[in-house]
Amino acid sequence: MELFNENNKLAAVIHKDHSLLPVINRLGVRLGFGDKTIRNICDENGIDPAFFVEIINVFHYESYFPEQKLMNLSVVYVVDYLIKTHEYYRNYLIPEIDRLLHLFLESCEGQCPESEMILNFYERLQEECLAHFKTEEEEEFPFILALNQVLKGNTDSNEFKDQFSAFKMRNFEEDHGNIDDKMFDLENIIIKYLPPSYNQNIGNSLLSNLFMFEKDLKNHSRIEDNILLPKVDQLIKTLAGHE
Amino acid sequence: MSNYSNKIVIIIHTSEIVLKGMSEILEGSLADEIVALRRIDEIINYSELKGDLIIIASSSELGKNLPFLEQVFQNSTNLKFVSFYTEQPETYSDVAISLNDAPSLICYKINEVFNSAILGDDEADSELTRRELEVLQLITRGLSNKEIADHLYVSIHTVISHRKNISEKTGIKSASGLTMYAILKKIVDVNEINTSDLV
Repeated sequence: MELFNENNKLAAVIHKDHSLLPVINRLGVRLGFGDKTIRNICDENGIDPAFFVEIINVFHYESYFPEQKLMNLSVVYVVDYLIKTHEYYRNYLIPEIDRLLHLFLESCEGQCPESEMILNFYERLQEECLAHFKTEEEEEFPFILALNQVLKGNTDSNEFKDQFSAFKMRNFEEDHGNIDDKMFDLENIIIKYLPPSYNQNIGNSLLSNLFMFEKDLKNHSRIEDNILLPKVDQLIKTLAGHE
Repeated sequence: MSNYSNKIVIIIHTSEIVLKGMSEILEGSLADEIVALRRIDEIINYSELKGDLIIIASSSELGKNLPFLEQVFQNSTNLKFVSFYTEQPETYSDVAISLNDAPSLICYKINEVFNSAILGDDEADSELTRRELEVLQLITRGLSNKEIADHLYVSIHTVISHRKNISEKTGIKSASGLTMYAILKKIVDVNEINTSDLV
């Protein structure tokens, strides 16, 4: 396994794994980067190259998870990356899946009593995803960022405690498991059990997008469960140690 | 699909109640055509039928007339037999229907026979056992593992192990996904389930 590093040309990295395209967008890089290396691009865009390299490696190699290195990453970067990921899902990937699913279900010839059921299943799954993103953005992330500010000495710890006195970190893992399972089920229902009366090309596009979403969500969950949560524990311990 | 073949079920039984009942139940299966006969020799009038054919009759009737039936339908693409029992048979079989089977189970079995005619025997190990079908039906009614265990007089561990096997065989993990699966495979009737409540 040869990891990506700062000296790689980004174009070559993308040729090796084009599913990284939305990932580099989220990190703040836009297409048209010529033959520049990752380090050059990061310098120009004000991105931490170490963070950039770790994120693309974790995404590309599913078994790669250098805990110690990842624990040293800035929590501000991690949260920012996760928020951008949510934006990508909300503004692009979910609407695109919506569009394809509707086209696909409408393409059915003859009687298709199962269409409505599949749409219902998908809509519930989508609601679950959006609600999950929303609580993270409105509750967990502000708490984490505020905690980080206290430890940096930018905010008074009593003020922080007043603001978050009733707050308790949720464990995301259960949510992640449910969402992952249902994504997988939706794919399998379409692949294995749907009658063949639907437009196959639209079905293939829909499935490609669902697979992409599934892979992205898994990566997203991995970052939250294995980097963000341990980091929060670490921050809370440090705060306790200060007192 | 160009290679789609007509699916026909022929039911042979002396009881009008059985014939009427089975015909109505099998409306919910994959069968395109259902023929109900009081006497086995009437079948000669249907020798022109072509497609995937399933003949349902008592096992003694099938045993006696097997060569005759095979001769009558020698030109049909695919001929399968399903035994019908008025009493619960000792052992569970996918190719046997009993008088006490639930309508959804009857349709499921017939569909499995039709599907095996298309797919060959490769799929055999992905078939659900009778107990797994029962558990699946209870899942679709929204029961928890504990409730299913109480209902079937088994331990919760047994239920969990059945659920694991069902998920492995079907490739479907969530309760709402399994409900969709059961409806698509006609293991449960869509009218029994509130589909807007799926997740």
